[in-house]
Amino acid sequence: MNWRAFGLLLGCLPLMASAVEPGKDPVPSVMWAFYHKQLLADAPFVFDERVRLLAPPFAEDARQVPLEIDARAFAGDVVRILAWAELNPLPRIVDFQPSERVLPWLSIRIRIEQATPLRAAVQTRDGLWHVGSTVIDAAGGGCTAPSVVRTQAGWEEHLGEVLGGRYPRGDSNRLRLQIAHPMDNGLVSGIPEFFIDQAQLFDADGKLLARLELFPAVSENPNLGFDIRGSGQTRLVLRDNSGNQFDAAIP
Amino acid sequence: MRWLLLICLGLCLPAWSATDYSLKPRQIAEGTWLLEGSTENFAKANGGNIVNTAFIVTDAGVVVIDTGPSKRYGEALRQAIAATTDKPVIQVLLTHHHPDHVLGNQAFSDVPIGALPGTADLLRQQGDALAENMYRLVGDWMRGTEVVLPTQALSPGTLKVGDHSMRLLALAGHTGADLAILDETTGVLFAGDLVFYERALTTPNSPGLEVWLKDLGTLQALPWKQIVPGHGPVATDARPFLQMHDYLGWLDQLMRDGAARGDDMAEMIRSPIPERFAGISLSRYELIRSVSHLYPRYERAGMKRVDTHDPD
Repeated sequence: MNWRAFGLLLGCLPLMASAVEPGKDPVPSVMWAFYHKQLLADAPFVFDERVRLLAPPFAEDARQVPLEIDARAFAGDVVRILAWAELNPLPRIVDFQPSERVLPWLSIRIRIEQATPLRAAVQTRDGLWHVGSTVIDAAGGGCTAPSVVRTQAGWEEHLGEVLGGRYPRGDSNRLRLQIAHPMDNGLVSGIPEFFIDQAQLFDADGKLLARLELFPAVSENPNLGFDIRGSGQTRLVLRDNSGNQFDAAIP
Repeated sequence: MRWLLLICLGLCLPAWSATDYSLKPRQIAEGTWLLEGSTENFAKANGGNIVNTAFIVTDAGVVVIDTGPSKRYGEALRQAIAATTDKPVIQVLLTHHHPDHVLGNQAFSDVPIGALPGTADLLRQQGDALAENMYRLVGDWMRGTEVVLPTQALSPGTLKVGDHSMRLLALAGHTGADLAILDETTGVLFAGDLVFYERALTTPNSPGLEVWLKDLGTLQALPWKQIVPGHGPVATDARPFLQMHDYLGWLDQLMRDGAARGDDMAEMIRSPIPERFAGISLSRYELIRSVSHLYPRYERAGMKRVDTHDPD
């Protein structure tokens, strides 16, 4: 390829990207355009059912809604995964950046305030966002319900305690973690924001396996699940917005 | 103009009849009448009439077991009783605090409403939220419905009403405070929601499936001739117990296995439901709910403390 052709190709790239046909939104949404601009900076995207966003059809407990983000169809090609609940007062859930050794799969529990579309946007190496969607029904109130953690006497002493487990699954390992923290979102009267906003997962040699930014739509006592290739000990480092750091070593 | 009025009337009539429970008591034993609800979920089409209520006509008066899902249901139940017997209602017994069993209480505020103390506590704590959710699920049928707390604390033992002798049992598997009533005079066992039959069981307040399984053993060992489940058809053999044991055992094992594999809740709710439960109404819906209620305990039991504290 000569240089002129290469230049021509480079010049075409943004054009090609903007020419991507996003397809039809699979869920009824009044907010897509807003979030496309706000969170994805109007970047090219496709509604893509290969990004599986799995939630129950209704929220039995709007304070603890299980969510599974499965982008394994793009394994090896994922840069970043963003998730949000469109009609939440605090919509953002997580910004997840898995390395090669961590599968683009995440389980997490969230709060929802009302029935809402849920989105997981997966950015692949070509810059394109693949958007998985689902809707969930709810009686509501999950974001503004009083904390359960704070009703438990002495909860402060358990702050940052981590329960964990590693579960071998063929050539990968499932990691499950549950962190004691009220994850106050600032919407319950008189209690300011107090939540874990950073999580990093390292391997035994201190190499970064995954980086997560968490938002206060994440449920209290956050639950996280990862699938990791290969074995060995891992270390989880968490930090909350008050500067507390919590460490855990998963054997 | 007159024809316009007629059309209007014609349009309104279906709306009126749509919120009529049409309760038809069916006699199942000497002096014992059942009002059998459907095995569906709460819906605007059924007004929440998915529950079994009953009444026993003794020579001293009528004992009502559960008052139904709404004020309107309670009133319809009271009318159905009056159409069946001249005897006055003298006692209400509530099996537990769930809304489909107690929100008809307003129609019985002139008689003692008996419940276990734990049931009164739970209704005090959760009643308004439960009623609010019922308005969301069944709509206008709930109009005017308010929580009426029990007025009489029941304790386990024998309750004599007229010529009937009833054994009251204080159990816990379904909500933490579950009353079962064996009418020793007729052999009818009112199991409340400790027994669901042909309808998936619900677990929002269950202290644990092992507690529930133990309660089932207690009930099954009683000298009953007929079982009235809280939901589903009446039986004269042990099939409801067998189905409950089978289903609870399956649910328990499913969640144990899931926790041992490290499955998350979102994966658990997609678990296959065995073919033998295919005939049980709402099994998928209730699996989703039960996983939400109970699975966190199973996962926690399977995880260990892994945080590393700085020795400061």
